[in-house]
Amino acid sequence: MGNASHFALFDLEPDFRLDQDRLAVRYRELVRRVHPDRFAGAPEREQRLALEEAARLNEAYQTLKSPSQRARYLLSLQGEELSQETTVQDPAFLMQQMELREELQELQDSADLAGVARFKRRLVQDQEQLNEGFAACWADPRRRDEAERLARRMQFLDKLFAEVRQLEERLDD
Amino acid sequence: MALLQIAEPGQSPQPHQRRLAVGIDLGTTNSLVATLRSGLAESLKDTEGETILPSAVRYLPDGRVEVGRAAKAAAAVDPLNTVLSVKRLMGRGIADVKLLGEQLPYRFAEGESHMPFIETVQGPKSPVEVSAEILRVLRRRAEEALGGELVGAVITVPAYFDEAQRQATKDAARLAGLDVLRLLNEPTAAAVAYGLDRGAEGVVAIYDLGGGTFDISILRLTRGVFEVLATGGDSALGGDDFDHAIANWIVEQAGLSADLDPGVQRHLLQLACAAKEALSDSGSVALAYGPWQGELSRERFEALIEPLVARSLKACRRALRDAGIEPQEIAAVVMVGGSTRVPRVRRAAAELFDRQPLTDIDPDQVVAIGAALQADTLAGNGRDGEELLLLDVNPLSLGLETMGRLMEKVIPRNTTLPVARAQEFTTYKDGQTAMLIHVLQGERELVKDCRSLARFELRGIPPMVAGAAKIRVTFQVDADGLLNVSARELGSGIEASVQVKPSYGLTDGEIARMLKDSFEYAGGDKAARALREQQVEAQRLLEAVQAALEADGEALLSPAERAAIEAQMQALRGVLDGPDAAVIETHVRHLTQVTDAFAARRLDASVKAALSGRRLNEIEE
Repeated sequence: MGNASHFALFDLEPDFRLDQDRLAVRYRELVRRVHPDRFAGAPEREQRLALEEAARLNEAYQTLKSPSQRARYLLSLQGEELSQETTVQDPAFLMQQMELREELQELQDSADLAGVARFKRRLVQDQEQLNEGFAACWADPRRRDEAERLARRMQFLDKLFAEVRQLEERLDD
Repeated sequence: MALLQIAEPGQSPQPHQRRLAVGIDLGTTNSLVATLRSGLAESLKDTEGETILPSAVRYLPDGRVEVGRAAKAAAAVDPLNTVLSVKRLMGRGIADVKLLGEQLPYRFAEGESHMPFIETVQGPKSPVEVSAEILRVLRRRAEEALGGELVGAVITVPAYFDEAQRQATKDAARLAGLDVLRLLNEPTAAAVAYGLDRGAEGVVAIYDLGGGTFDISILRLTRGVFEVLATGGDSALGGDDFDHAIANWIVEQAGLSADLDPGVQRHLLQLACAAKEALSDSGSVALAYGPWQGELSRERFEALIEPLVARSLKACRRALRDAGIEPQEIAAVVMVGGSTRVPRVRRAAAELFDRQPLTDIDPDQVVAIGAALQADTLAGNGRDGEELLLLDVNPLSLGLETMGRLMEKVIPRNTTLPVARAQEFTTYKDGQTAMLIHVLQGERELVKDCRSLARFELRGIPPMVAGAAKIRVTFQVDADGLLNVSARELGSGIEASVQVKPSYGLTDGEIARMLKDSFEYAGGDKAARALREQQVEAQRLLEAVQAALEADGEALLSPAERAAIEAQMQALRGVLDGPDAAVIETHVRHLTQVTDAFAARRLDASVKAALSGRRLNEIEE
């Protein structure tokens, strides 16, 4: 399998739009072959290889399953990694971020569970919009800046989702 | 769990006899061993016809060790030498044990590894040794019932067990002379038994409340693949806590002093446990201790355990969130563990998941049965391509200490195993030549709130300005949930790594001493066992290589390569029946070396084969 791309590993064309069910079926077929459980009686060397292959397969699967990670990965396949800094040159988004965080803070202060649920639904909508936008522009090299901007926004939303989950956990106490 | 028919009419992948492998449920209160016989999974009985072995170990002054019912019965009369619920002590330090928040009727001594040793009439005993006594009894039971030596066992552990607790369980198996094929999470084992028995598909929740631990796992079942989506729990929450709640209530009601001697403590806990069990069927139960008499109603009991039940529900909600699953998407809720017989627990699960939980599967046996099914697959008795596959997750996040005593997560909880993940760090001082790697487990942000797993140093970094060195730290978690960490400076290639040995595990020295003490390894027996192990290992390798040659030798090897492998096989066969374990080992190593490239090619080909017969245009819309 060498250094084949995550997409090639699953015999898929690199694309942002991905049939999740098909990916899951393919993953299960492949992991059946390389999972360390299949090598329980095998020599140590084979066990180690299986462990490495299964770990690589899991990593590829996780990356492709998540829209934001898939977006980032597609951009890296085009040659350049997405740099880590998030909000540079995107002042509109910076503003929106601050507002969302403030809102989350208020939800925490008021322990408003119904509000958290509404907030989450809004984030899901935002996410879907970003996905649409990215799908439309990522393959066009002239629109690379736009694609990068959207990929960063996706990542930010991921982090915000994680914070919402932590908040839910705290409110559950 | 009577009839678990696995459609397997005596088929075996290779023309050798069936390999004997068992599943062991090493429980807080009870333990069991199960295996697959002519396609049927069953728990094995002892000579008196009992399947359940109480997890009780008593050390007698004459050097004998009693395990099971007799030991349990002696707990109140000989509390200091009788160990119950030892699982609650596994992989924990003395400070943790005190945090369990209850009086344990033992005297503890600290070992060189800060593990709590229990003072007994036979000297200090670690929880690992006590557990090994239980495993040894089950191993003998299996060997007698099956009439041969076991190739190995799958041992179940709570899904929420941390690294230290898992390692301690593996150490106990090693002391008991068992080869661990896999550590399997209890709720996953239960899902396997349930799923195969009922032919279930879709998302299921396993609510597993045992004697000392609670697990919740959410799994997706798809044609023999059991994929854990999320797991959660509390490794210090179980039926024992219900008993303690009742015992404390008696102490309060009877006006007893809180500082009780161990015999009284044991007696009260026995009373409490009997009351708890009676309250599953009746509305109230009469209690008496000394001159005090009282009555405990079910309502009162439910109020006493409410905070404990609430803790389990909180873990359930978190697992649902982690899995990204709504309660209504769940097809079935399966109740596992003796403590799910408590009506309040069943009601609570029904309310949370908004459906009646399944309670018709024997909650005591289902875990051992599931473990037996996986043991059979791992031992190579399954049918090719159709065997079950378990995809489990790590229950707790793993990470590193970074500046400011903060925990930086490298592998978040509920990541599918096995997993390997790397993170890059750099030096923060000019000329810095060493870096301390501190490995942590837990969900909290501050290092002090996480469990410290290991510390090691990467030395010999070439002096550079701050921020110039690039240090890649790689975490690898295997299918047992055990962690390996390595660090490498990318410029110079300097490397360091640790097999993580938790701070509260046994030291290698302690294990060596215990192995020596164990009579199974006494004297010439030790050499005989080593030889036997080496022969089994060699035989296994020969069979594996033979099968591989028959399957793929033609396609993947040149005639010369094949001849080299066959020559090495012949050489190994020549020494196999000899008396020298070391000679066999050398030949095993040689054969492994010449089959190295072949192994890699086979794995590669196998993956390609999974994709073959498909073209890209077929999988596009």
